Amino acid sequence: MAGARLSRRKIAAYFADELLAGRNVTKPLAAYLVEAKRIRESTLVIRDIEAALSERGVLLADIASSRELTKDTEDTITTYLKSATGVKSVHLRTEVDESLLGGVRIETPGTRLDNTVRERLRKLQQLRSTN
Amino acid sequence: MPELSVTDLSKELRSAIQSLEVTGDLESVGIVTRVGDGVAWVYGLRSAGYSEVLQIETRDGVVEAFALNLNEDEIGAVLLGGDESVSAGNKVTLKGTVLDVPVGEELLGRVVDPLGKPLDGGPAIKTKERGLVEREAIGVLGRKHVHEPMMTGIVAIDAMFPIGRGQRELIIGDRQTGKTAIAIDTMINQGRQKTGVVNIYVAIGQKLSKIARLVERLKEEGVMDQTIIVATGPSDPASLLYLAPYAATAMGEYFRDNKKHALIIYDDLTKHAVAYRQMSLLLRRPPGREAFPGDVFYLHSRLLERSAKLSDSLGAGSLTALPIIETQAGDISAYIPTNVISITDGQIFMETDLFNQGIRPAISAGLSVSRVGGDAQTKSVKSVGSHLKLGLSQFRELASFAQFGSDLDEATKSQIERGQRLTELLKQHQYSPMGVWEQVASIYAVNNGSFDKVSIAKIKEAQTALLTRLWTDHKKEMQELTKGDEKIADDSASAKIIDKVAKAVAKGFEE
Repeated sequence: MAGARLSRRKIAAYFADELLAGRNVTKPLAAYLVEAKRIRESTLVIRDIEAALSERGVLLADIASSRELTKDTEDTITTYLKSATGVKSVHLRTEVDESLLGGVRIETPGTRLDNTVRERLRKLQQLRSTN
Repeated sequence: MPELSVTDLSKELRSAIQSLEVTGDLESVGIVTRVGDGVAWVYGLRSAGYSEVLQIETRDGVVEAFALNLNEDEIGAVLLGGDESVSAGNKVTLKGTVLDVPVGEELLGRVVDPLGKPLDGGPAIKTKERGLVEREAIGVLGRKHVHEPMMTGIVAIDAMFPIGRGQRELIIGDRQTGKTAIAIDTMINQGRQKTGVVNIYVAIGQKLSKIARLVERLKEEGVMDQTIIVATGPSDPASLLYLAPYAATAMGEYFRDNKKHALIIYDDLTKHAVAYRQMSLLLRRPPGREAFPGDVFYLHSRLLERSAKLSDSLGAGSLTALPIIETQAGDISAYIPTNVISITDGQIFMETDLFNQGIRPAISAGLSVSRVGGDAQTKSVKSVGSHLKLGLSQFRELASFAQFGSDLDEATKSQIERGQRLTELLKQHQYSPMGVWEQVASIYAVNNGSFDKVSIAKIKEAQTALLTRLWTDHKKEMQELTKGDEKIADDSASAKIIDKVAKAVAKGFEE
């Protein structure tokens, strides 16, 4: 098996466990990627680690909205995500993008919920063009 | 689409901005990492199932694909359609279903692509039901043995290698030997004899000009309204060529499961195997013999097992399959031909030599076989056809002695002469399938010796004259004969009539 390509899923599982145990993973991960000549996959590996973390009860969610979110809204979203995915802890990364016009977009590893006005307008336009 | 007033729109916008309510569900989403050669590799979508339909959101709308490679780190999805608009970074969602196609009577008379989109310029296909493209074949208990005839109208086949409803009979031969012609004549015969059998013709990678000519010919013969054509050209993506037979089988299963009978022609499965090989190699699956993937047998076996005769409790419908395979230089022991021969219930072997000699249809009586045989043959044809095969095989053995001419004994000479007349009789023009009484009368006349004095070159003329005279003078008896239930023994009434007329006609063509 030496020399066989290690799947990203296995790498992510290992590093997710290390993170949850409190150890620093940045240097070891970077070192592995350079050694195995897999620097191209770095973005995907990080996504895979986030996915592995969500499987282990820690959810990282990206929230995008057109205006700054209030603490209440963030709490609502956190509660919603906990009930929808069954994880124990949720970390939110927020982003403000005025071009979304309104509403909110939630992205977790492997899923997405897009309630922004921009997306709703895009869907409407697509329906019109296919009709 | 009703026009949205400006006030409505601003009201919606305002309420959307004010209420940052979370509505809806988190949907699974993946992302395209690379795309090319008709395959999109997708990151994410860990819950995707095998053969599940994926929807890729491109700038030109939604492009569908189906997931065939479920790897640990990514999914290999085959695109249904062009890969021009798909690019890396596109979001991918699950449709939640496997592939299905519209099925039903609304498809009759139409030319469609494997996804059910019309190709004949007519209105969009709207059906009440949809059928699964991939479906398990009926189990043992749901079947009945093949006992009803599927008349092709071609004397050589109906007499010597009869096909029954629910059988799979392979048509195999080199290029340009008349394989498609047999299939077309069978379809035309269903119209002529008003059998009520629905025809489905699947063109897999066939030249579009050939398909167009076929549609015109079927329209001319008045058979198009009971025919469905599923067409894919050589320039269509390999995924569509791969799906075409399965989609068409789903359409045929609709009729089979609803107490009706259908005939499906796969033209041809060699191109189908080649398209599947292309897809498999691009999905990076390991190549096997002749670079075909390891499951190329399963590719055809699961397709052909769906053609069956159902038991009475399931409605007694049937789906008969006529797959076509093209061989190279007559080699029927190559990989794909041997695979399909072992799956089907017999084969009709077309030979280039016979074709070039002018024996058309160029059916090799020695190598062709029908493993269902007697049960599925019309009784009257069976009673006259049993001697036909024997006579021809004996003739084949002695054929090389024919050149000795006068040096032979009488028995050998007469056998050779009879064989030559039978061979001449079995020649048939394209697009002229023959009904039951015509076949019975012709074979009986020659087998009985009535045409023994007719010169070989004039046999076909004599046959035409016989049939014309029988139809004008004895129409009622011939119509009775067409029902097919009568066994033609030498002393039966019809036999005597045929004999009398044949001898009378023969006098005009004696050498």
